[in-house]
Amino acid sequence: MTKKEPNLLDEINSKFKTDGRIQREHRIWVSINVNKLIEICRWLKEKGFTHLSSISVTDWLEKGEYELTYHLWSYDNKMLVTVKTRINRNKPIVESVSPIWGESAQIHERELHELFGVKFKGNKDLLPLFLENWQGSAPFRKDFDWRDYVREEFYDKKNEREKVYYD
Amino acid sequence: MVKRSEKAKTMRKLIKAIWIFNWFNSCGFAELVPLVGSRWDMERFGMIIVGTPRHADVLFIAGYQTHKSIERAKRIYEQMAEPRVVIALGSCTMTGGMYWDSYNTIKKLDDYLPVTMYIPGCPPRPEAVFEACEKIFEHVKELE
Amino acid sequence: MIEEMEPAPKGTEYDFYFGPAHPGSGNFGVKLKIDGEIVVSARADPGYLHRGFEKLMEYRTPIQNAVLSDRLCILEPLNWNLVHAEAVDELMGIEVPERAKYIRVIMAELSRIQSHIIWYGVFSKGTGFDTGFKMAFGYRDYILDLFELITGGRVYPAGYICPGGVRRDFPDNAKMKILKVLDKMNKMIKLGELENPAMDARSKDVGVLKLKDAIRLGVTGPVLRGSGMNVDVRKEEPYEVYDRLDFEVPVRKKGDAYARYCIGIEEMKQSVKIVKQALEDLPDGDVIETSLKKPKLSYKIPEGEVYVRNEIARGEAAIYMVSNGNSTPYRVKVRGPDFLHMIPVLEHLLKGVQIADVPAVYWSLNICPADMDR
Repeated sequence: MTKKEPNLLDEINSKFKTDGRIQREHRIWVSINVNKLIEICRWLKEKGFTHLSSISVTDWLEKGEYELTYHLWSYDNKMLVTVKTRINRNKPIVESVSPIWGESAQIHERELHELFGVKFKGNKDLLPLFLENWQGSAPFRKDFDWRDYVREEFYDKKNEREKVYYD
Repeated sequence: MVKRSEKAKTMRKLIKAIWIFNWFNSCGFAELVPLVGSRWDMERFGMIIVGTPRHADVLFIAGYQTHKSIERAKRIYEQMAEPRVVIALGSCTMTGGMYWDSYNTIKKLDDYLPVTMYIPGCPPRPEAVFEACEKIFEHVKELE
Repeated sequence: MIEEMEPAPKGTEYDFYFGPAHPGSGNFGVKLKIDGEIVVSARADPGYLHRGFEKLMEYRTPIQNAVLSDRLCILEPLNWNLVHAEAVDELMGIEVPERAKYIRVIMAELSRIQSHIIWYGVFSKGTGFDTGFKMAFGYRDYILDLFELITGGRVYPAGYICPGGVRRDFPDNAKMKILKVLDKMNKMIKLGELENPAMDARSKDVGVLKLKDAIRLGVTGPVLRGSGMNVDVRKEEPYEVYDRLDFEVPVRKKGDAYARYCIGIEEMKQSVKIVKQALEDLPDGDVIETSLKKPKLSYKIPEGEVYVRNEIARGEAAIYMVSNGNSTPYRVKVRGPDFLHMIPVLEHLLKGVQIADVPAVYWSLNICPADMDR
């Protein structure tokens, strides 16, 4: 482990009052409250974390929360900082980071809006991405069981053939 | 002298060399494109790739289809002129395959398009595709 | 229900669909608005191959996921196998034996050469050099025969690189065959370096991507190196044995389609060099960690979360895996390079080009639609 990880972690912990940890070389994990999210993202971008690697949502069904994770990489310091926050699962609304990182954040948020139902305030383009005419709820939530859905829709149903081709 | 029906006579006149429409979907790209390459050269059998369904005899559905892409495949099928053949490659078209529990793929191609021949495998070898095309010629010869 | 195109409002403007059933586009469509011959704006249309991979992995154990992970991108299955195996290794704290690390690097680099050959083939088809397409796919078959000898499958290696090491050892004649195949690859590289006036004219100064735009749009891999930045995950945070091997990273400053094409050919040369070094240094020993030698059908993954980054042929690939103590992962997030290359970058680059340049720009980004949709 180089000298840089403890220095950066101390700076983040003292400025934002968090309790981050160093997992191994090049990896720092920090949890933060959702109303300080934009502030820490702007501060990290000025520190040199110009590459947003990905954004992800984890669905904790029992606790009733969505956990958002932002993975940021810095080309100068060669370090990855992951910022994690939690929001309510039934009304998932959060501020968008696309004013900070541009189109790369916009496209990740568009995918999460379609698959998990998270609303990002300030993102100008949240149209459906992969699915066409999907009427049900957000498909990647933990309460939508795929195996039951597939058994009901495809395997147990008597499907009619397209009559027009078989006459 | 064997008396052949009208349909058999027309089929023998029309199916001499197979022209394939280029709808290389998903896994088919990695196993059908080598057929065009210089090792499993398919031009020596008279098969070429055409760019429009109006010229094609065969539509290869190679691999899994999703709800979005099966609509486009149906539209292509409607534009092909008779006699036309649909060949389904891979085990995903037969039973759902590796993605049987996915909400977006279709499980049995036969419910959407009339399939003439299934080629099993994940993915099937190029020799299997040649054997399937040979069976079409034999089937046309045996028609009566 | 497919939406119909709008009728032309006036004069020279019209909508054009460079769509999924096109000999030059793969399974991905782009809606273009054209005025005369110049593209005014582009809108990407993804989703033809969406299977919901990330949730499919939540229902399966790590051994089953290793077989499923080769199908993330059909054109480079062994590289994605490696990313998934590294994620599970790190979660479980497994120490992979030395021989397995070298074998993993050899297989990943062979898969990178094979993927760049496809890139060369479709790029030459897109710019009019049809012979290059057919010859390239002929040369690629040498590597596919090698894969069949070592792993058992031509295209999909059935989870050869699994958590703990690799599944089985090299057969006895593998080393000699690999060296022979590398000689043939040198001939392929000579074919790639040929000066073809048509290809040069159609790809020089076409689709220029400036460095500032590239970083804002999230570009990684050969496309970023074509715009002037010298980054490679294998040099920034070396994984497996890349810190002991000696190779260079090609960089070009111009940022046009020709620069990216040249980088592809250079990277093939460097991969041949890496495979030769790894073959010489290959140590003896086990190929899988001792506790996993007898395959167990399911084992519990300890609680935790990891983020693993690798350099595949198309750019930076990453997997974020969360586990809560069961035998299947709780959440797997797959980050592929093509998700960013095909939607924001393509829409940005296609503004202002002529219709005839659209295939050259499109194929120079080295896209794989399966990786984008997952």
